[in-house]
Amino acid sequence: MIETTASPLPALRLRPWLGIVATALAMLVSWMGLLWAPTDAVQGDVYRVIYVHVPAAWLAYLAFAVVFLASIGWLWTRRPWFDALAVSSAEIGVLFTGLAIVAGSIWAKPTWGVWWTWDPRLVTTAIMFGMYVGYLLLRGLSTDFERRATRAAVLGIIAVVDVPIVHLSVLYMNSVHQLPTVLRVGGDPSLDSQMGMTLGFSVIAFTFVYFALLAERMEIERRRQQRLLDVRA
Amino acid sequence: MRALDRALLVARRELDAERRQPDGVAAALTFAGLVVLLESLALGPGRAHDPDVASAVFWIAILFAAVLLVSRSFDRELEDDAIDAIVALEGGRDALYAGKVLALAAVIAIVALAAGAFSIVLLDLDVRLAAHLVLVAILGVVALPPVVVLVSLIALRVRARVVIVPILAFPLLAPQLLAATAGTSAALSGDASAALGWTGLLASFALVYGVLGLTIVPAAIE
Repeated sequence: MIETTASPLPALRLRPWLGIVATALAMLVSWMGLLWAPTDAVQGDVYRVIYVHVPAAWLAYLAFAVVFLASIGWLWTRRPWFDALAVSSAEIGVLFTGLAIVAGSIWAKPTWGVWWTWDPRLVTTAIMFGMYVGYLLLRGLSTDFERRATRAAVLGIIAVVDVPIVHLSVLYMNSVHQLPTVLRVGGDPSLDSQMGMTLGFSVIAFTFVYFALLAERMEIERRRQQRLLDVRA
Repeated sequence: MRALDRALLVARRELDAERRQPDGVAAALTFAGLVVLLESLALGPGRAHDPDVASAVFWIAILFAAVLLVSRSFDRELEDDAIDAIVALEGGRDALYAGKVLALAAVIAIVALAAGAFSIVLLDLDVRLAAHLVLVAILGVVALPPVVVLVSLIALRVRARVVIVPILAFPLLAPQLLAATAGTSAALSGDASAALGWTGLLASFALVYGVLGLTIVPAAIE
């Protein structure tokens, strides 16, 4: 039995503030990434794509992990709030996976000499992108609210199996993709400290952007659910 | 009745239906055969003979055939409304999933056997490690149905089911496809350790998705 009201979560009251903080941080990291961080000795300025590529990839992982947890939440409790969280996070995840692929491609051309290569990590990221586009398509093809949420939740749980494969593929498969720069097993980050700090701030800023977008999208979804529930009542 | 008996009952019922009306198997066999033929025509005998190419085309054909077979199977269930009766039984959802997986694996095995023999003869493939090839083929066949059936159950009464099932299943099956292709190629080329390594991966995926399917399937079936 699902709830008859799509009540807002208290955290959503922070919505306007999230947007302001996200914008301020985005401006700060734009300055840090473009001007403050030093030029790389080998790659020159092109390496600065890292300040978009890495945070976007991080957000893709985060967003799909949230889809997974929200899917479990829906199947467990049948609260519409979890379904709103899942669809909102999936849409943002698809957006940022696409951004990570495009930014990576822009970085690859001057460094590897090609826009795209059949590297395992690139392929699995593209597969992950396709999988969550499929998730959104499945939602779009279902009309009944509860059935749509249940189908999507099941797929959201299955699809997350792919996310660790993406991360581990760079470690265990032959790959031209560079090894992790920050999260390395048994080693310190291999980045210059200014570069590392800029990258850290970029990740934080992108995370705030994610939460700001999530809060906005969830509010839209909550209203949509409320209309559906009103019609049903 | 034990869970395994219920699953076997569903599988037997499924195979009986396939035997009485073998249009799904016939379509899958024709499709797989045509893909092998078209591969030789499109690439020319020299490149089609390459173990990597032949393995990849073979497993892509089997993947499409599996989707075709499962689609036909669920069409039959929905036409007869038989699925509602199974789901209504105690433990019926798990039995439906497990039974469909077992039956699909058996039917894919028949298609793979025929298409494999056809490929070996038509493309004049040199099989260096026959036992390894059989092992890879068996595990490749076993690794596909848990995902294909699960996705079909998710999309059971969705509009445009025929389109959405491959869109959802193919990305999920990419690791299995890669492992089966690489394992088959290794067996054809005589690389025993690589072939065995890929069979381990195929077995792991079959196990992971099988357990995941049985855990999650009651929620997936409407």
